[in-house]
Amino acid sequence: MLLMPRAVLVLLGLVGIAGGAAATDDPGKATAPRTEFVPPAPGSYTLQRIQRVRDAVLLDSTGRTVKLSALTQGKITLLTFFYTYCVDPLGCPFAHTTLAALRDRVRHDHTLNGRVRFVSVSLDPTHDDPAAIASYAREFTIDPKFEWRFVTARRVTDLLPVLDDFGQDVSVELDENGHATRTVHHMLKMFLIDAHGEVREIYTLSFIQPRMMFNDIKTLALEAG
Amino acid sequence: MRIRRRLTLSLGIAAAICVFAAATQADETCNSPYMSGLIKGQEDFVHVWTLGVPGMGDGSDKLVTVDANPASKNYGKVIDKVSVGGRGEAHHMGFTDDRKYLWAGGLDDSKIYVFDVGTNPAHPKLVKTIGSLTAKTGYVGPHTFYALPGRMLVGSLSNSADKGGTTGMAVYNNKGEFVAKYDLPTSTIGHVKGDGYGYDIAVNPAKNALLTSSFTGWNNYMRDLGELIKDPEAMKHFGNTMVMWNLKTMQPQQILAVPGAPLEIRWALPAGHDWAITATALTSQLWLIKRDAQGHWAAKDVAAIGDPAKVPLPVDISITADAKGLWVNTFMDGTTHYFDISDPEHPKETYSKHTGAQVNMVSQSWDGKRVYLTSSLLSKWDKKGKDNEQFLRAFHWNGHELTPAFEIDFAKEQLGRPHHMKFSANPTRMASLVSASLR
Repeated sequence: MLLMPRAVLVLLGLVGIAGGAAATDDPGKATAPRTEFVPPAPGSYTLQRIQRVRDAVLLDSTGRTVKLSALTQGKITLLTFFYTYCVDPLGCPFAHTTLAALRDRVRHDHTLNGRVRFVSVSLDPTHDDPAAIASYAREFTIDPKFEWRFVTARRVTDLLPVLDDFGQDVSVELDENGHATRTVHHMLKMFLIDAHGEVREIYTLSFIQPRMMFNDIKTLALEAG
Repeated sequence: MRIRRRLTLSLGIAAAICVFAAATQADETCNSPYMSGLIKGQEDFVHVWTLGVPGMGDGSDKLVTVDANPASKNYGKVIDKVSVGGRGEAHHMGFTDDRKYLWAGGLDDSKIYVFDVGTNPAHPKLVKTIGSLTAKTGYVGPHTFYALPGRMLVGSLSNSADKGGTTGMAVYNNKGEFVAKYDLPTSTIGHVKGDGYGYDIAVNPAKNALLTSSFTGWNNYMRDLGELIKDPEAMKHFGNTMVMWNLKTMQPQQILAVPGAPLEIRWALPAGHDWAITATALTSQLWLIKRDAQGHWAAKDVAAIGDPAKVPLPVDISITADAKGLWVNTFMDGTTHYFDISDPEHPKETYSKHTGAQVNMVSQSWDGKRVYLTSSLLSKWDKKGKDNEQFLRAFHWNGHELTPAFEIDFAKEQLGRPHHMKFSANPTRMASLVSASLR
């Protein structure tokens, strides 16, 4: 459940007073997704081919440039966007906790050995420099045999085409003086990408159902043979 | 360097906060639960997808935007209209998952128009026209636009081969690229034969359930209603089924017999509910689709809407956010009904009001305090003469009585026939990453 931080409430209050006729554009109460069904068996369905991932140049956690295609091809990839300083319990921490549990399940499935990677792309290249994401990544990259890459961009303008291609919306809340705050709105999305670089599933909060996500990964692995 | 320095200055001070645009548990009226940016307070604008009428204004279909905020000096006035430059039987529309774009369809020309409503909702812009539906799928008449993550699920009404009711669903990504198609079933599943007809789409994510309903094909919906009802053969070609799909596999799981053209579908999305509700146009009944203890879905009629013998023709329905109330419009008698559905097995009509000579769509605010109605059903089905009222009427609802808020005469304003409505809100004080970095 999303707890609206006090600072945001205060800010929204200010906006309401200052704006007068401004509407309440409420992002909605976030709730953990419910899974009240038995996920279909891996391989019993075909995932849609939603879009190809456009290439871009990003920065890895050592500061080296890396092509996005090197992170979205050759393996089944689960990619998400994050901030190192995000504290929303149903935001980035929820996403990465879910991914960590999935990683453990993938590691114990020998048919997926070496065939799956996770990629986490920072949405704030200014704050999240390579050192920051390297520090953040330590908690999640405990197994050197499992590829979980954390990347950022050299500058915001390098990141924008990536966001645009994935359809990942991001906006920054301003204070009453028009200055950017650290309240960042974005829809939590995870992208399942096949080894050929095609997005095959997109998970927003209602869809982040780990059992289903695992079966989707298995389905792509079975499809590839 | 400038961007980097400014971002550091602006973002590097206060405690970190990250707010997600969350998926929601219910709808303002009938939005996809995957959609973000739910408007829980006062909506600023009502967008009305409006059918063009020859000789009325430019005669084209258009997206009309009305100021709906009582605090605005333009309250109750048309503040913008975007003509699409043609007349293709404008009907329904739906937001993308991020609520930044509004997809709107034409039942006759099968075109899909994509409007940018996120940049400036007071002044939407037509940014894309998708004309590939029939070529890619064989379907005609894009009706329902249902947001899935990164995609739009488009439910159709007809097909190009015989213009009958056999049809299906198409998936486009948010860029407007075709992804996949799924035919409505004509086979027999669970002793019920599918008719292959389509109408509405509604998803319950927690149950991995997608439910579809069925109406009729181009041959009927583009025919004069007076002629149609006198043609017994044509009247046989209406949908009598609903289909429960496995959302993940996009395979039909059950076909449910729901005679009389089941139209709009509303899930009870709050936790603990296991049901959806619909209204049948020709038989004037509310139907409950509920899962039994064995996990099978069953459909049963649970209440009459008006006097079914008089064929009041229930059209749009709107469920309250808590799934305890349901608005139902009946077109022929121009009546707006309110049902208490807190016991969905036994809905009770607790209020009704004559709201026009003809009334079709009904949309309510999240808090249920405002109810909006439009008049047009289909260009060939609307009434003639003085009963052909064309309006948007806004009401306040205090739980007991609808009282008028404002009204726009779409004929007098030379706009056309108003149909589907969607709400927008002025963005709160927000900036894009780039503009934030330049402040």
